[in-house]
Amino acid sequence: MIANFSDIFSIGRVGEDGIVVIMVKAVVVLLALATAAAYLTYAERKVAARIQLRIGPNRVGPLGLLQPAADAVKLLFKENAAPSGRDKLLYLVGPALAGGAAIFAFAAIPISGLTCVGGTVVGDGCNGGYPFHWDLIHVNVSLLFVLAVTSLGVYSLFLGGWSANSKYSLLGGLRSSAQLISYEMAVAFALVGAVILAGSLDLEKIVLAQQGAWFVLLQPLAFLLYFTAALAETNRLPFDLPEAETELVAGYHTEYSSMRFGFYFLGEYINMVIVCSIATLVFLGGWLPLLPWIHSDWLGGLVGVAWFLGKVSALLFVMMWLRWTLPRFRYDRLMNLGWKVLLPLGLVNIVVTGAIVAIRAS
Amino acid sequence: MTVIIWVTGALAALSALGVVFSRQPLYSALSLVMTIGALSVIFLVLNAQFLFVVQLIVYAGAVMVLFVFIIALLSPGAEDRVRVDSRFVIGAVVALGITVAMVVAARNGITFNNSNVFRAQQIGQASDPYHAFSFDQSDLGLVNTAGNVQTVGGQLFTTFLLPFEITSLLLLVAAVGAVYLTRRTRSGDPPERRERALGRKPEPTLEEDRIEVEVG
Repeated sequence: MIANFSDIFSIGRVGEDGIVVIMVKAVVVLLALATAAAYLTYAERKVAARIQLRIGPNRVGPLGLLQPAADAVKLLFKENAAPSGRDKLLYLVGPALAGGAAIFAFAAIPISGLTCVGGTVVGDGCNGGYPFHWDLIHVNVSLLFVLAVTSLGVYSLFLGGWSANSKYSLLGGLRSSAQLISYEMAVAFALVGAVILAGSLDLEKIVLAQQGAWFVLLQPLAFLLYFTAALAETNRLPFDLPEAETELVAGYHTEYSSMRFGFYFLGEYINMVIVCSIATLVFLGGWLPLLPWIHSDWLGGLVGVAWFLGKVSALLFVMMWLRWTLPRFRYDRLMNLGWKVLLPLGLVNIVVTGAIVAIRAS
Repeated sequence: MTVIIWVTGALAALSALGVVFSRQPLYSALSLVMTIGALSVIFLVLNAQFLFVVQLIVYAGAVMVLFVFIIALLSPGAEDRVRVDSRFVIGAVVALGITVAMVVAARNGITFNNSNVFRAQQIGQASDPYHAFSFDQSDLGLVNTAGNVQTVGGQLFTTFLLPFEITSLLLLVAAVGAVYLTRRTRSGDPPERRERALGRKPEPTLEEDRIEVEVG
């Protein structure tokens, strides 16, 4: 039975990972994401401080680098204060889903190209050697997989808001659900243009289709639409109405404390990483280097990871920069922007891209 | 593989029972989400990856979110306990009949072959309009192509074009109807009417009366 386990996710690709490889990959992804989320809070505070002419965290460890560890310890040891009128089961499901869905979605994201250990890469396959894919599970619709799993995150926001039996939470939860559903459409439509150009929903193939030119050059409008909608999807500042602190205290997680709140925080930052990873893979050439001189075996794979992480970090910095620069939207304007601007522009982009591709093919 | 199908199948059946027997409407809706999730995992194990993703996006990610939304907004109270009476018996018999019919139908579509591997019936081979796509004739290949984006898309836009378009027209009609019924104002209206639409002075008008008659 265990020998068949890998069949679920790796039919149709060259070579199949055994259970050991899958387990190791899963642990690495989990730890890396948790660490990344912790240090993103550090980065966020440092960036915010610099923008506001402050210094930021600098007491715990050199340059304040151990601050995230101190925060984690604090979160774990704080008291779990919970409202008495809560729905006991769903109050716990909310934060678990927030962290879980985000981590699960990352499993299908390839962070580097196919690496053949002891062989050479030929096309999208291997000529001898062990084929090593830099993702955890491989489905041929990985782009849709990520969108589908992240769209389940809306339940965590909504359940958190509803189960706590508090009006601030409920309003935050309702707002976030409406916002996520509205902007999901804009996100999907912005990505369709790139999918038409690549002719595949497989993130690895989408990246390989950008070897001539990154899609940000061919689809600049789609990239802008995607990034704007993605800010709204992750509740980042110009669009952070679900947790607008001046009116809703803290939105859907008002009534959460200690590590339960920590899981919402974790999910939020991992969602930022996912959104930036998708933008990198679909529009910025993923792991493809700007300087095309290294690509073979292990070294090439690791260099690809470095390029990928570099591009993702740059996008994450832009997101933080925007957060501390722009004021918040009003709620009706937010909905107008989503439905009356982003969505029609996305449709126009799809029609134009499709027409050009069809004309060039005929 | 078979183990995962049994486990997720049992989970789907259990959560489906939860949909019916939960006394809180919100728990029923969330059980339905779980049923959908378990079914989508079965699609994934059958290597119908596209169906897996569509199931999650369309049902769990969109339709059920709206259901949960509405239920929480209206916050209906707990339901009464199930009573066994004549209506219950008739309903159970009908449900059983439908289940048997579906099992028979499914046997003709998806079957076990003698090597104990799931095998989906090949669709549209004779009139395969998607010429660029060659079918893999092995058992796994059949399942794989049946779940592929290209196959589904090709079938939808050729063999099943008419039903597909009619269905989308139906959805469009429903959307237009919903917009018409909830609409209060139009841009050409005089300003005092538009003010009323903002909730300042709700006065019945000829048009709104007519709509109410239609709805009631």
